[in-house]
Amino acid sequence: MSRRQTQSAAAEGALEREKPAFLDHLYQGYRVVILVLFMTIFFPSMNPARICGLINRTSSLLTCAFSYGSLTANVGRAFDKGWILESTLKLDHYSALVCCLGIFACAAGACVSAGNGRMKRLGNLLSLCGSASSLISLRGFDAAYRQIILTEKPDKVKPSFPPFLYGMAVILLAVLVLTVCVMIGMRRRPKEDHFEMETQYRLFLLLLPFLLLTFVFCYLPLWGWRYAFFDYHAGESLSLSNFVGFKWFRQLVGNGARAKDILRVMKNTLIMSFLGLGTSWLPMMFAIFLSEVHHTKYRRFVQTFTTIPNFISWILVFSIANTIFATDGFLSSIMVNLGVWSSGKNLLMSGSHTYLKMWAWGTWKGLGWSAIIYIAGISGIDQQLYEAATVDGAGRFQKMWHVTVPGLLPTFMVLFLMGIAGILSNGMDQYLVFQTTANSKQIEVLDLYVYNMGIINGFIPLSTVVGMLKSIISVILLFSANAVSRVIRGESIF
Amino acid sequence: MAMTAQEKADAKAEKKYYKKHRNQYRLKPGDIVFSIINYTVFTVFTVICIFPFYYLFINTISDNELVQRGLINFFPRGIHFDNYRRLLSVGDLFTSVIVTLARTIIGTALMVAASGFVGYLVTQKQMWKRSLWYRFIIVTMYFNAGIIPWYMNMSMLGLTNHFAAYILPGIIAPYNIILVKTYIESSIPGELEESAKLDGAGTMKIFMTLIAPLSKPILATIAIFGAVGNWNSFQDSLILMQSAPKLYTLQHRLYIYLNTASNLAALMSAGSTSGISDSIIQNVLNGKVIKYTISMVTIIPILCVYPFMQRYFEKGIMLGAVKG
Repeated sequence: MSRRQTQSAAAEGALEREKPAFLDHLYQGYRVVILVLFMTIFFPSMNPARICGLINRTSSLLTCAFSYGSLTANVGRAFDKGWILESTLKLDHYSALVCCLGIFACAAGACVSAGNGRMKRLGNLLSLCGSASSLISLRGFDAAYRQIILTEKPDKVKPSFPPFLYGMAVILLAVLVLTVCVMIGMRRRPKEDHFEMETQYRLFLLLLPFLLLTFVFCYLPLWGWRYAFFDYHAGESLSLSNFVGFKWFRQLVGNGARAKDILRVMKNTLIMSFLGLGTSWLPMMFAIFLSEVHHTKYRRFVQTFTTIPNFISWILVFSIANTIFATDGFLSSIMVNLGVWSSGKNLLMSGSHTYLKMWAWGTWKGLGWSAIIYIAGISGIDQQLYEAATVDGAGRFQKMWHVTVPGLLPTFMVLFLMGIAGILSNGMDQYLVFQTTANSKQIEVLDLYVYNMGIINGFIPLSTVVGMLKSIISVILLFSANAVSRVIRGESIF
Repeated sequence: MAMTAQEKADAKAEKKYYKKHRNQYRLKPGDIVFSIINYTVFTVFTVICIFPFYYLFINTISDNELVQRGLINFFPRGIHFDNYRRLLSVGDLFTSVIVTLARTIIGTALMVAASGFVGYLVTQKQMWKRSLWYRFIIVTMYFNAGIIPWYMNMSMLGLTNHFAAYILPGIIAPYNIILVKTYIESSIPGELEESAKLDGAGTMKIFMTLIAPLSKPILATIAIFGAVGNWNSFQDSLILMQSAPKLYTLQHRLYIYLNTASNLAALMSAGSTSGISDSIIQNVLNGKVIKYTISMVTIIPILCVYPFMQRYFEKGIMLGAVKG
């Protein structure tokens, strides 16, 4: 097997050497240019379809092409008053659609070009048609722009020539020229009868759509970190004029009120996290004592019903908290009926013992679930160890302490280190739902603070800064925890 | 369960052993006390975990008048199911149920299909720069840009106030991809795949006819956890659907409902009822029952899939301990 592989590899190598290197380099360049072209459809600043100020600043070419609704989201009034003809924006929309489809065709051509000569020819044809039709569609944007500058109310409609139109034209022309070049180059190649592609590239192309999804939803948001360096208000655009450098970073430590806020939020975050970390042995204890319940069915029963709360959302937890502790809830009705309280009380409204209450709800929700990993761990401990301990005269608690706990300690250490790595990320759902006017000072953890500041109050740059610092520190903490784990246990945690 | 002769002999030997060492294994008073305390503590905690659900349930099926007066605490009285029927007439709620169901079904199906396929693809050693792409996907578990950049990104893509925002971001689930990959590598013999390849099956065919059926257990695990996650999700609805109330998920709807009810309740308890008209107060009063019923509607699906989930708990958790 291995000999055959080396033979075939050698044969491939020989084939590769035969190929004219120049054409391959040309193909590399062609793919890179198409990749750049493809990226442009995601960025609003590179949107050639934004021909007037009324079109949303945050919409990319992709959005304009596939959602007429979001293209015309703010234009309704202009339509009604007759400032803009509907046909103008229709033209714009369809041009964007053609442009997008052309770019997709180019991308498909670049993908296919990883195959044999027959596939390469198909790919060339695709990108030739794609780039040509996109170029023609640019003419459509231009025509739409010419129509829109004739509007009666230029101050309201704010027509503006999309600056990237020329850039797009240049890139598309480059694609067109490169395609023609590789087509000429391919003419000398022998013609194959059927489509074929090397396995390595075929597998890669199968994975490519998923890589694209990952890029769009996990990596592209990082581009939003640039808001941290601008004086940005919702609806405006970023430009050199509102670039402020590290102003917001400095405000976090310099400005009195803001710095105080941050200190308070950090204190809340750390207290909540340390309460959780400090009691992270509870699930282990839960598991150990549960394994002392020898009635199997009862043990299963307890295990089943204590895990349920883990699977309901924090909103439902809040709803349950309401049914028990609100003015018209269980506790109040019992107390009133017994005559202890004269009227119902809403215990959720009060601002006292916020940290403890939040910890208690967290424990109620998570204890049974977190114990499961330890229960599995206990069943993995060698029974002979217990027998040996019994022979040595160890009692119940001694066996727990000297056999079970050491057996579970590695798992505990991993979870503890992960907990330390996540010390800044308490999540926001729990604190959001339990937030009231009385406890808002204590309950605001970092995640909630970012949400309140950015989404509710609209301070986008500052909340981006906080979120960004949080992400960076979390990654550093994770790697440190991993390093610690390597030193202590000789094993990494991820 | 039929015992083999060997097992019978073992059991006998064990009994004999215990008889011989009876003293050592006899229950001591300390053991009894320990057991009582142990059982009590677990019973109390279990009751604390279950009782709220029970309380919620009996309040939704009891006579509304009694519920209002706070008289339904331990047993249901005047059982009826009108509340559930009446709930369907609350139009917003019905659309929320449909939206949430749709996102749960579509989102979970796509996520499972994608995780299965990607998990299989990244086991293919011949792939061009395989480990690079694998890391490219997995690394996203450990960092995120933060909530604001995420929101800006979604609006840049035109996904705000759009149903696709519930589906598309959830398709790639790195953790589940790790689970599937580990499962395929550890539980499906490579020879099977090799022989299928020799028979001329392509990658897609091998995945559909061989890998997917064989990895059913792990796919079921991630499907169930994915479905619960989708059903419970609320942040995306809260942040992305600000001007599309038609697309609110059930959780979001419940949140709004709880909030308005508690705000009104706070106003009332502060004694400033004069500003609120009687009809609103009436609404709040009815609100108690409606609130409870919506909560029940939101919980019931979870309780329904729960027995199926339980089988996969330990498997999922233990597999999760395996590194990627």
